[in-house]
Amino acid sequence: MAIFNLKKREIECKIVYYGPGRGGKTTNLEYIFKTFRKQITGEMVSINTEGDRTLFFDFLPMGLGKIKGCEVRVQLYTVPGQVQYSSTRKLVLRGVDGLVFVADSLKVRREKNMLSLKDLQKNLKEYGLNIFNVPLVLQYNKRDLGDQGIPIMPVEQMERDLNRQLKVPSFAGSAVNGDRVGETLKECLKLTLKSLHKELKWAQ
Amino acid sequence: MALKDSIKTILQEAELYHGQGLLAEAKEKYQQAQALIERSAQVKNREKLLEGIHRKIAGIELHDQKVQQTAATSPALSEKARELIKRLFSFSKEESEEAAALEGAIALAKFGQFSSALTEFNKLIRKESHRTVAAKNILRCHIALASEKAAVEQYEEWVKSDLFSVKQLESIRVFLEDNIPPEALEKPLSAPAAPAASAEEETARVEEEFIDISSIGIPFESGPAQGKVIEFDVNFQSGNLLSLIVPQKEGNIIEDLAVGTKINDLQFYSPIAIFNGAGVVSEKSQIKSGPKQGDFCLDIEITST
Repeated sequence: MAIFNLKKREIECKIVYYGPGRGGKTTNLEYIFKTFRKQITGEMVSINTEGDRTLFFDFLPMGLGKIKGCEVRVQLYTVPGQVQYSSTRKLVLRGVDGLVFVADSLKVRREKNMLSLKDLQKNLKEYGLNIFNVPLVLQYNKRDLGDQGIPIMPVEQMERDLNRQLKVPSFAGSAVNGDRVGETLKECLKLTLKSLHKELKWAQ
Repeated sequence: MALKDSIKTILQEAELYHGQGLLAEAKEKYQQAQALIERSAQVKNREKLLEGIHRKIAGIELHDQKVQQTAATSPALSEKARELIKRLFSFSKEESEEAAALEGAIALAKFGQFSSALTEFNKLIRKESHRTVAAKNILRCHIALASEKAAVEQYEEWVKSDLFSVKQLESIRVFLEDNIPPEALEKPLSAPAAPAASAEEETARVEEEFIDISSIGIPFESGPAQGKVIEFDVNFQSGNLLSLIVPQKEGNIIEDLAVGTKINDLQFYSPIAIFNGAGVVSEKSQIKSGPKQGDFCLDIEITST
């Protein structure tokens, strides 16, 4: 949950990138780290990787400057996506304020996307959170692979699979090329800060 | 599509999945290509192709074995990483340094860094407020490190020391008995004192169950929420003591919950189970300063489950 220092007028909130293994969560953060250097307030830390696979989590601190009179800082995290790291995912999810669900557009990963979303819903529930009430954005990643002749799902199908009930903002992109990575994050931040403003009623 | 083109497409897909780290999917495609080639004698460079595919599949299977071995043991982390974990996963910094330190130590344990967690818990055991919880976690770490003997030795050392009260030691003893394999106990654990009244024994048994309770459902028999069960997040847990933060705007709901009020049919939500129990309000106060000024702090002691 967001840390709000009334005296110093500082807010620190937590955004978690969730999704199935190898879907592009870490790639999203790596792109953000490379591209939004002005807003990055520290090093990107990946704990721990096995080759290029996240075992624990990635962490990236950002500063957004002053918004409505408050200094806003954001911590971005990714979770490990593989099924066996369920308890780590839950731990990293604690205190989340906003979510980006990175779905894999490859046809062969359809079921994994849905299982991962269910896993997210279950973990949120265990923290007393409802997936319908948490600021959430969907990213349909790896759209670029369709140009290489690899079977990917149409966006309409992914919307039906993942967003039929949630009805949250979604972005079809490619994290490895940086397509819509920034937009995804910006929308998530917008929803998160709106929610925090409502909850904390902070204002100048 | 000609056979040659089919095989080419399947192998391209396999290579892409392999490059993406989607090894199960890649293996399936390699096996699909392998089956196609084996069924047809006319494929050019048949043997060479099959050999290449076989090597790819073997490589994937070797990688899978390594991954399983990694999953079975926790990788060692740098000191910097451990400090980061402690910092990022302690949520009670604003309320209490010690509570934050406990959360940090628990986070280290949950990330499999048991040796580092032991160091932290051994610091916390000096603090009265978290002594019992720290002690149970020390034993838990020893057990997780497959060192049940060290857990038993540690407990016996505590029995001889004057660090713990009789009640605390009894709670720790029950916890250890319930969490250690029977074959690891060469003889019964030393009892600090004969168990007192059954109500105290019941309290000790409830205390030793170190289950993370994430939220609690309280049934209200009076007030604006009469007849309803309202769920509150657990802000902090120390053994069987749950601390809740109730927003100021919901203060009227808990108006009738005075210190000493007994509550039956409480619902406890944990990662592994939902269970019912009873508790008593042990503390209730309004926060006078800080970001949660005006909110209510409500402590509920679980008395039975």
